[in-house]
Amino acid sequence: MNDLDPVIHAAARLRICATLASLEEGDRITFPRLQELLDMTAGNLSTHLRKLEEAEYVAVDKAHQGRTPVTFVTLTRRGRRAFEDYTDALRALLGGTS
Amino acid sequence: MTDHTELPTPVDPDDAPPSADEALALIRSQQTALERDQLSGIPWILGVWGVAWSVGFFALWSGYEGGNPWFSIPLPIAGTIFGVFLVGSIVTSAVIGMRLNRGVRGPSNFSGAVYGIAWPVVSLGAYLMGVALALNGMDGELQSLFFPAIYALVAGTMYLMGAALWRSIDQLVLGAVIIVTGTVAPFFGAPTNNLVMAVLGGGAFLVAAIVMSISLRRAAR
Repeated sequence: MNDLDPVIHAAARLRICATLASLEEGDRITFPRLQELLDMTAGNLSTHLRKLEEAEYVAVDKAHQGRTPVTFVTLTRRGRRAFEDYTDALRALLGGTS
Repeated sequence: MTDHTELPTPVDPDDAPPSADEALALIRSQQTALERDQLSGIPWILGVWGVAWSVGFFALWSGYEGGNPWFSIPLPIAGTIFGVFLVGSIVTSAVIGMRLNRGVRGPSNFSGAVYGIAWPVVSLGAYLMGVALALNGMDGELQSLFFPAIYALVAGTMYLMGAALWRSIDQLVLGAVIIVTGTVAPFFGAPTNNLVMAVLGGGAFLVAAIVMSISLRRAAR
């Protein structure tokens, strides 16, 4: 299990990465929508996003739509690659199937 | 992330590393749930159109002379039924369609927007083409053959475009059947063409709605 990226290898961050990776590359998702898709509390999601952000796997941008501030989250190129490597490593651990 | 409350999480169960197979299962279930969430509105769109085509064209068939042998509906009422179902379906699918990719900004918005705007633009174009033909002497009977057929061609082509954009076999099959419906219906002559539209076209939408809703449910298991 030592080969698995510790930044991704935690249930919550795994789900966050899986969700962001399924968006088209370059697409950004709003924080509330991501929260809704993951069914996580805002605090919990923020905590895990920060860990992913520190590893530069995720970029968090703030923008304004009219007067409302909107937080957008996206998987960086580095994050996307790390997630792919992580799933490859998982599959290799499980006997190299599919 | 400053505008979201940070909760202290000293012992975070979400932080526990799962086993490799648990991790893979977690990824799969999250992506399936996501797909289901994003696509769950589509069977509704198809179902609404299925009912609209079935009921609307059946009403028209029952409105025209020489149509439904069992009962008839006065043509203005049949036309109104058709119109109400048509407008209802347009509104329903626009509302559901706009919610499909909500909260997401980026390259995929372009595909969605082009697709979403193409629907009313091409439909209006086809309608105006019919109006021009009518103004240039196309009689009522030909109009009743032309309008459903051209509309089916537009709708069928849009579903093929959807199939290409979202790599959806369901939409590919539906688009093909709708195009065949639009092409074949006029050969039956008026008003039988309306029955063909109701049965073949409306039926295709309803079958597609059921198939898609079953496959989404299966994927969620």
